[in-house]
Amino acid sequence: MTFSLLEKTVLAIIIIGALGSFFYEVVRRLRIVARGTGTLPLDRIPQRLIRTVKEVLFHRRVIGGRFWPGLMHGLVFWGFIVFGVVTLDHFATGFGTPLLSENQHHLYSIVVLPFSVLVIIGIGFLAYRRFILKPHTLGKISLTSGIVAIFIFLLMVTYIYGEMSPPLLIAKVNWWLHALLVLAFLVLIPKSKHLHLVFAPFNIFLRPFDTPDHDAVKIDLEAPEEELDAMLEGLTHLSKNQTLDVFSCVECGRCTDACPAHRGGGILNPKHHFMLDLRQPLLDGGSTAVLDQINIEAGWECTACQACTFACPVGNQVEKSDEIRRLQVLVEGAVPQEYQKLFMNLQETGNTEGAFHSPLAERLPKFTPDKEYVLWLGCFARYELDPNFTKSVENYARILDSGGVSYGILEEEWCSGDPANRLGEKMTFQMLMEHNMEQLSQVKKVTSMCPHCIVNLSKEYGKFTDIHYRVEHHTQVIASLIDQNRIDVSSKAQGAITYHDPCNMARTMGEVEAPRRTLRTLAPDFFELEEHGTNTLCCGAGGGLWWKKEGTGRTHLVRAEQIVNSGAETVVTGCNFCYGMFNQGLDPLTPEGRETVKVKDLADLVAENLA
Amino acid sequence: MKIGVLTKQVPSADSPLKLDGGGKWIGEENVTFAINESDAYALEEALRIKEETGDGEVVVASLGPQRVQRGIREGLSKGADRGIHIEESLPYTSDPFLTATLFANTLRNESFDLILSGLQSDDLGLGQVGVLLGEMLSMSTATLVMETGISDSTIRVKRELEGGWFQWTTLKLPASISIQSGINTPRYPSLKGIMGAKKKEIRSIARNEVDDGGATLQTLRKVYIPQKVKRTEMIEGEADQVVAKLIDIFKRDIKVL
Ligand code: SF4
Ligand code: SF4
Repeated sequence: MTFSLLEKTVLAIIIIGALGSFFYEVVRRLRIVARGTGTLPLDRIPQRLIRTVKEVLFHRRVIGGRFWPGLMHGLVFWGFIVFGVVTLDHFATGFGTPLLSENQHHLYSIVVLPFSVLVIIGIGFLAYRRFILKPHTLGKISLTSGIVAIFIFLLMVTYIYGEMSPPLLIAKVNWWLHALLVLAFLVLIPKSKHLHLVFAPFNIFLRPFDTPDHDAVKIDLEAPEEELDAMLEGLTHLSKNQTLDVFSCVECGRCTDACPAHRGGGILNPKHHFMLDLRQPLLDGGSTAVLDQINIEAGWECTACQACTFACPVGNQVEKSDEIRRLQVLVEGAVPQEYQKLFMNLQETGNTEGAFHSPLAERLPKFTPDKEYVLWLGCFARYELDPNFTKSVENYARILDSGGVSYGILEEEWCSGDPANRLGEKMTFQMLMEHNMEQLSQVKKVTSMCPHCIVNLSKEYGKFTDIHYRVEHHTQVIASLIDQNRIDVSSKAQGAITYHDPCNMARTMGEVEAPRRTLRTLAPDFFELEEHGTNTLCCGAGGGLWWKKEGTGRTHLVRAEQIVNSGAETVVTGCNFCYGMFNQGLDPLTPEGRETVKVKDLADLVAENLA
Repeated sequence: MKIGVLTKQVPSADSPLKLDGGGKWIGEENVTFAINESDAYALEEALRIKEETGDGEVVVASLGPQRVQRGIREGLSKGADRGIHIEESLPYTSDPFLTATLFANTLRNESFDLILSGLQSDDLGLGQVGVLLGEMLSMSTATLVMETGISDSTIRVKRELEGGWFQWTTLKLPASISIQSGINTPRYPSLKGIMGAKKKEIRSIARNEVDDGGATLQTLRKVYIPQKVKRTEMIEGEADQVVAKLIDIFKRDIKVL
């Protein structure tokens, strides 16, 4: 095929126009990203590369989260990669300088043709899903999605047709059609969710390793007023990572599907409230000071469980309840009354309940420097938020005794600060942290049954200072005691028994194996809930919601319902809050005539089976 | 609009209470103190009225030992403009007439347009200081207020009566009104508020520098922890008799009917 000078000129002009539009829009967004707070992390490059290959090239999350749509998306994606060379060659041909020789072209088309069919199948399925099945999660029908689907389809058709050696004139028209489609695509991409084509790989590469990844709010009440003002102003800004997230979001709604507050009938919809609601303000204002746009009521509903972030196929850190809550507390002073009471208790007494006395703490041995572990109780256990859990603490103590582990509690232990931290009361959090850090200054190892305390004592305190002690969850300590044969446990049939992963252990601490090692030893026939491991579903108590007054949502019942329906006779967990939620939730949900599922902490199960 | 708010610091609800040695008050070790609940609503209402009218001043006034300054400071961090502390050495003053006299003689020169106080204190529950103070300062008074509507020279208030009845009435300013809990949603001190409060003035006056008129009308003789007794009574007889007896008990002893 030959092209006249006029044709070449027209082609060049259109290419320059399309590329110009493309880069203008992309650069506009990148400049906003650059205005975000913090820096884009570039540590641990090899790990980042491996992650990017897994999640982008192999579509691990895309397919892992939703198999069929994910696979179909994969077909389109892999097709696009294969098409890269074809497209470059296509335009080069237009200028009379094809990249591939006739022969190479034919050889390559043997690979590309099957892919073009796969792309048609993929895009056909995706269009069918979006426009015929219309799953609720995808939201309103979008015109651009329709256009893009048709474009992709036509791109394939024009390619296939071009390979069938049509008569010259028609071939020319076909060639132009294909070229214009590609260029139109270039114009459309950055203005729509299809920008994820460009941003998602970088977003996945740059994603912080820690989840959640909220900046520490460091408050210095002695600092000059301007400094404080600047700090408070900074609280309305997205970080660079978060801004890139907003532009990378592909609006798939997986975060919302995973969200316990949404599933419980709350108004919170992370896709909208934590992502899309911020996109237009970012573009309109060109500034990253948009966090005050987050729906406040939605922000208070979040359990901070991180299911959204783990579900996101483009690597977004979705949850932003931390950001909106701290604005409400520190800047607006608008705090629900039940939380005001909670904060006051924390400030006055160092614990969530405003209590002065813990009978349990009095019974347990006190820590002295010769002992191996500090047994960190946490307010839930210490002040018996669920009195049944007291026996679980005593069971853990028995296990430690039986394994010959020395331990003691800190008499001056205060709340780790989890509820204050998650509810945005960063000043109270800092006050509690400073007290606790002092108590822990000479300590080397801490063990706790409360994952909320674990996260705060390790990761959250770690944002302020270097931590010199190790924190181990009781499921980890127990597993290693069994591994080292330091405790003697017998394995026996436990009936239908299952395990509920606490969010804080599974997603934030990345620990799903330790409790399973123990379970496999004690109850080899234990079964998994459908949503388990890092896919676990929150019990409803996270993010300070244990102290929330009953609202209209059923966030706190969704998981309990799953457990009732799983047919389990016993549910084991590793978190006092999950334990308390199930103890309250399971019974009323149990159909008449059926026995209520028994709730046990892993320590209960182990203690019952100590030889 | 110049608004005074009376706030009292009381033991918080969860504090373990023990009597002190003298049997006239509680021991304060292991007790945390908080602003009296309905006073917190009164303060919030004052701040809202100030915000609504767009100018003016909110002054928090408190009577008690040194520790009550923390309560005043909390009010200042929520947005009140200054504080007045009548400092006494005793942990409490139990005579409402005396309390009102002390406030009246301290606050007279402030010429408040409006004085708001909580309906009653959570510790003594006498509910009189707001009205007495209003009378002493020749102000209009209203109690149990659940809603307010302010204008230049009057305040319209909704009062809670008994049996689910309400009363709307309009008072001429200056007025002293006592506020029912739940009238609004009290705010939380913001960080900026806390910082700002550090620079606000708290004027401290020793109690014995205030003319108390020499009159104490009430003295507290003894405080004690209510005795809990368990009493079980078996009611026997025919169903009819049992029911009649039960109704009688409900009416007379338990007073729920
Ligand atoms: S953290 Fe959990 S509750 Fe909050 S938005 Fe994400 S999925 Fe929903
Ligand atoms: S944030 Fe992630 S999971 Fe949620 S809609 Fe966007 S791309 Fe999908």
